[in-house]
Amino acid sequence: MSAWLPLAACVPLVAGALVPAVGRRRPQLAQGCALAASGWTVLATARLTRRLFMEGPFSYAMGGWAAPWGIELRFDAWSAASLFIALIMLAVLVYSGPYARAAIEPRRLPWYYSLLLLNLGGMVGFACAGDLFNLFVFMELVSVSSYALVAVGGGRIAALAAFKYLLAGAVSSVLVLFSVGVLHALTGSLNMADVALRLAAVESRGPVVLALAGLSAGFMLKAALFPVHLWLPDAHAAAPCPVSAVLSGLVVKVGIIGLLRTNAVFAGVDGLPMAAFGQVLAWLGALAIVAGALFALFQQDIKLMLAYSTVSNIGYIVLGLGLANHAALTGAGIHVLNHAIIKATLFLAVGAIIHQTGSRTLRELRGVGRMMPWSALAVSIGALSVAGLPPTAGFLGKWYIALGAFAAGQPGFAAVLLLGALLIFAYYIRILNAFYFRAPVDDNMRSVHEAPLPMLLPVLFLAALCILGGLFGRWPVALVAPAVERLAGGG
Amino acid sequence: MGAALQNLDYFAFVILFCIGLHTLVARPNLLKKLLGLNIMETAVFAFIVTSGMVDGGAAPIVDGTVTGPFASPLPQALILTGIVVAVSISALALALIIEIYRQCGTIEADELKGVG
Repeated sequence: MSAWLPLAACVPLVAGALVPAVGRRRPQLAQGCALAASGWTVLATARLTRRLFMEGPFSYAMGGWAAPWGIELRFDAWSAASLFIALIMLAVLVYSGPYARAAIEPRRLPWYYSLLLLNLGGMVGFACAGDLFNLFVFMELVSVSSYALVAVGGGRIAALAAFKYLLAGAVSSVLVLFSVGVLHALTGSLNMADVALRLAAVESRGPVVLALAGLSAGFMLKAALFPVHLWLPDAHAAAPCPVSAVLSGLVVKVGIIGLLRTNAVFAGVDGLPMAAFGQVLAWLGALAIVAGALFALFQQDIKLMLAYSTVSNIGYIVLGLGLANHAALTGAGIHVLNHAIIKATLFLAVGAIIHQTGSRTLRELRGVGRMMPWSALAVSIGALSVAGLPPTAGFLGKWYIALGAFAAGQPGFAAVLLLGALLIFAYYIRILNAFYFRAPVDDNMRSVHEAPLPMLLPVLFLAALCILGGLFGRWPVALVAPAVERLAGGG
Repeated sequence: MGAALQNLDYFAFVILFCIGLHTLVARPNLLKKLLGLNIMETAVFAFIVTSGMVDGGAAPIVDGTVTGPFASPLPQALILTGIVVAVSISALALALIIEIYRQCGTIEADELKGVG
């Protein structure tokens, strides 16, 4: 059945619109509806990914109108990220049951689930969009629901952080829309494959460079690349923990996937300063790795630490994109997926700990490892993984990016990568030291219990994925290989 | 001078965009920041709509009596969606500003610094 593709994005969107209506009468059904819709999305995207493995990329023409005129949904290797997106969202929704009951006002609960579903639908649609304008619309769906999700828990810091996030996000959207307008004015088309073909015939280079710059700047702001990361730490730390997991793991990747998709549009155009552009990306990425890790090192609040670690990891991905050779792009592609899993694990596990203990600074959380062994174990696995220790998922991407740095003849970047990994390791050692080897500061810690099962299961599931992602690294490599082939070949 | 007059709309767009960006960055009042954002959005909308204009073009309604050139209808359709997005962003931002005012008692960014 070919309708799986549009339905994968539409079902969560429609369900997202209906959940508040259901929740008005029966608030207890809201989570069930959300689970059903996201479970369906996991199934649909799994089917689509299977088809991708067997047949290669495929398209769906909306309403039967053929590609350059009609709206095209395209499922290729980058779209396969939607399977991971759906899986992580399902885990977050299961986890949200006990967490949201405690952290969010009851009358806001249906809206919370509704926003998460809209977010999911937007991301799946974004990953599968075949034309520039739909890319923009789905990006806005993701962004607007994210702004609201940051503030959903209430509190003064959350509202302020959400507003800051909204301003930064809206500026980046304006930049992206402007560039889409320029591209449409130049080529008369919106379909990405079609625009790529027609751009080669456009004579003036100025507007093309302008569009490339606008799109890149817009998506970098969305991805919170250093130095435009300032909105991220507050927003990710102030949001409720399941939302932080979604924002840090998935929503920032919207910027990265957008960057990948739109770069492919420009790949065939001669006379663009792509080499210089790649160098700028690589340097910004390298700066972000070090700066993010350094900021993280000096935080007391554990969620702020994780948020800065996201800044650092986005740096790794962008460094890989900037180096733009085969190995580096493979590494960047894999790290997009693996970082999503790792960061979701970390935020959910830390969320379980915060939920049970009520405190979030390293000092107050001393000794929690003995009271909550499973959650602390998940944090440890996530920490080792994000630092990039060999048998875990984080190692794979960084290894490929380092290989790419050597292949590009710039081993300096590999040194930066190693330095970043060491710094990351240092601050996760701080967390693990506090959890396991320090005596609790107050006596309340001794009466803390392990988190309830609906929270623990998704955390452990994701932690297991962190390890499996490293052990079975061949699968993600095989997944991104064809897409990388096209990018590296053209650019 | 001729080229400047011909591209008057682009200059207007750039000026409007810069006014919006300046308001967004320089004004401490959150409401004014939001207004600046809206000015920026309007500038981009105006730019995209004018990009569909064709000199002497007719409305693209094909009924047999009018023969080309036609203006491109697509940019207008796109911007309609863009406006919907902008409105929802504004609504959410206003709600957040009300929430910030309730919680902190001010919506001036420089007074809010100590809070965040």
